[in-house]
Amino acid sequence: MLKTIRLAALMSVITLTPFGLASAFAEPLKVVASFSVIEDFAKNVGGDRIEVTTIVGPDGDAHVYEPKPADAVAMSKADVVLVNGLHFEGFLQRLVEASATKATIVELTKGVEPIKMKEEFEEAEEGEAADGHAHHHGDTDPHAFQSIANAKIYVKNIAEAFCAADAAGCGAYKANADAYTQKLTETEGEVKAAIASIPESKRTIITSHDAFGYFEHEYGLTFLAPEGISTEAEPSAADVAALIRQVREDKASAVFVENITNTRLIEQIASETGLKVGGTLYSDALSFKGGPASTYIDMMRNNITTIKGAILGS
Amino acid sequence: MLHLLKTVSVAALLAGIAATASFAEENTAWRLFISDHGEPVVRALDAGSGRELGKFATKVPTSLARSDSGKTIFAVQGKGDIVQAISSGISIGDHGDHGDLKIEDAKLLDVEFAGKKPSHFVDHGGDIALFFDGEGVARTTSETDVLDGKADFRETKTDAPHHGLAVAFDGHVLLTEPNKEKPDELPVGIRVVDASGAQVGDVHSCPGLHGEAASGNILAIACAKGLLIVKSGDKEPSIEFLPYSETLPEGKTTTLVGGRGLQYFLGNYGPSAVVLIDSTSKEAFRRIELPTRRVHFAVDPVRPKFAYVFTEDGMIHQLDVVSGAITKSLPLTDPYSMDGHWSDPRPRIAVADDAIYVTDPLKSTLHVIDAKSFEKTKDISVEGKPFNIVAVGGSGETH
Repeated sequence: MLKTIRLAALMSVITLTPFGLASAFAEPLKVVASFSVIEDFAKNVGGDRIEVTTIVGPDGDAHVYEPKPADAVAMSKADVVLVNGLHFEGFLQRLVEASATKATIVELTKGVEPIKMKEEFEEAEEGEAADGHAHHHGDTDPHAFQSIANAKIYVKNIAEAFCAADAAGCGAYKANADAYTQKLTETEGEVKAAIASIPESKRTIITSHDAFGYFEHEYGLTFLAPEGISTEAEPSAADVAALIRQVREDKASAVFVENITNTRLIEQIASETGLKVGGTLYSDALSFKGGPASTYIDMMRNNITTIKGAILGS
Repeated sequence: MLHLLKTVSVAALLAGIAATASFAEENTAWRLFISDHGEPVVRALDAGSGRELGKFATKVPTSLARSDSGKTIFAVQGKGDIVQAISSGISIGDHGDHGDLKIEDAKLLDVEFAGKKPSHFVDHGGDIALFFDGEGVARTTSETDVLDGKADFRETKTDAPHHGLAVAFDGHVLLTEPNKEKPDELPVGIRVVDASGAQVGDVHSCPGLHGEAASGNILAIACAKGLLIVKSGDKEPSIEFLPYSETLPEGKTTTLVGGRGLQYFLGNYGPSAVVLIDSTSKEAFRRIELPTRRVHFAVDPVRPKFAYVFTEDGMIHQLDVVSGAITKSLPLTDPYSMDGHWSDPRPRIAVADDAIYVTDPLKSTLHVIDAKSFEKTKDISVEGKPFNIVAVGGSGETH
C-alpha cells in the first residue's frame, strides 16, 4: 500500500514537472512598445515568446499623445518597456511615474549617432525669442528610425533587452534579430537604388514636419518642412511663406502629406504653388493592418516608392 | 513636464531677486486664490507660507476659475451679473526643454464682462468662453486680450435664456441648445457654429446636459445618458456620443474634471460615487463607491496618478486613477452634510506643488496636506468663510 502511494506520488511529480516547466516557458515576456514602429521591431525579434502592448498605435502621433490610465496599467505589468528616447515620447516620464513600473526602460536609440534639428529652425526660433534670449527646444532630432542603418541598431538593442529579461529565449531572439537585420539590409539596398535613380537636381521635397532628417542624412534626399521636429508647435506664417518661396524658385520637386499630421498645411502649400500632393508618407507611425505601411519594411518601401513616383511622375 | 528643482523663499520672490538675476536659475512659485462664501473678496496667498499677498474686491461673493495657463483667475459672479479677472502674477513660458518662470504681483485687471447670471467658464487653449444663463448668450474672448486689459468679446446667442455653457473650440463655438418647451430645464444638446456664426451640421443630442471638462486634446460634455466626446476634426470639431456602460447602475454625471498628465475624466455618478472615464478604453467607465456623499473632487496636476475626493463625513480620499481605487483616506474636518442648499458653504480642494489644500469655511481655516505622505501638515487661518479655491504656479528658469 505504502509502495503504491509512493509510486503515485512519484508519478504525479513526473507528470507535473514537465507541465510546470512548460507553463513557465509558455508565459510570454510582457513588452510595452511606445509606438508602432517599435512594436513591429519587437515582434520580429520576440516572435511568440513575447506579448506586446503598444501605447501610440498606427497613424498615431507620439509627439502630442496623451497617455491614458490604461497605458499606465500596461506599463505597470510590463517586464520590458521599449522606447525611442531622444525626447521622442514626451509622455514617457509621466507614464513611468504614474505606473510605478519596475520594468527595464530600454532606449533603443542607444548607440545611434544623434543628429541635430535643422539649422533654419534653430535660427528661426532664436529670431522669434522675444524676451532677448535664445531657446533651443531639445535640438536633437529623435526620428532615428527613419534611417534603416539605425533601425538595425534598434533591433540589436531589442535583442539584448529581451536576452537580459529572458535568458532562456536568448538564442531565439538573436536568431530572429539576425534574420530580420538581413531583411533590413535588403530593404536599404532598394532605398539606395531608388534614390540613385532620381536626378540630383530633383532631390528636394516637402513634408509636414521634420521627421526625415536621418533619412536625408543617410540617403541624400533633402526634406523641407513647415513644422519642426515636433508636430506640437504650429509653424509661423514666415516659415510657411519661406517654403512657398522655395517651391516657386523651383527648389522643391514634390510635396507630401504625412499619415500623422493634419493635411491642411500641405494642401495650402500645394494650392499656392501649383504642386500636386504626391501622396502620403509614413513618418512617425505605421499604417493600420491592410494599409500600405503596416510594417516597418513596408513603410520604408512605400515611402521611397511614393517619393520616386511623385518626382519622376511615374 | 516641468521639474521641481528648487524653491526660493517668498522673501526672495518678493524682493525680486530671482527676476534680476543675470543668469538662469530654477525656481518654483505657487499661489492660491480663495473666495469667501459670504463676502465679496478674493484673497491671494503664497502657497508655501500661507502669507496673504493681496486682497481683491469683487461685486458679490464669487466662484473662481483659473485659465489653463494659470496666468488669469476669473471671478464669476452669478448673482452680481459680472465676471471680473485677476492676473495671478505667475506665468510660465514653455520653451520645450524648459520653462521660464515670471513672477509679478497679482492684480485685479481693469476688465469686466457684464451680463445676466454668468455661470460656466471654459478656457480652451487660451480662448475663453463665458456663458450668461440669464441671457442664453456666450461671450468669447482670448486670455491674451484679457491680460492686455481689453474687454473685447464676440457674442453668440442661443434661442433662450437657460443654464448652459459654451466652448471656443478650433475656430468654432460649441453652445448648449436650450430645451425649447421648458427652457428652465437642462439643455438638450450642443450646437456648433463657425466663425461667421452659422450653424455647422445638426444639433448633437445631449438631453440633461450639465458639466464639461477638457483633458489634453479631448473635451467631454456630460448628458443624462452618456457623454459627448469632442475632438479636433479636419474642418470642424468631431463630436461622438459615448453612452454610459450597461454595467453602471442608474445615474448620470453632472460635474466633470479632466485629468492632467494622464488623459481621463473624473465625474460624479449619483451622490455617493464617482466615475473614472477613459473614452478610448474598452472599459470606458470605472465607478468608485464612496463611503458617504461626495462634496467636492479635484485632480492632481503634479502627480497624474492621483485625484482627491472630499466626502460629507469630513474625510479626504486619495483616488488612484490607474488602479481605480481609493488608496488612502484622511479625516480632516467636522462633517459637512450635503443636505440643504447646493451652494451652502462646504470644503473645496486645490493642489499646489507638493501639497493639497482644503478650505474649511465654517472654521475659517485652510487645511494643508502633504501630497506624498497624505498626512496633514498644517492649518492656515483665513478670515471669513474661505470657500472656492484655485492654485496656480509651477517651476521654471528665471533670467
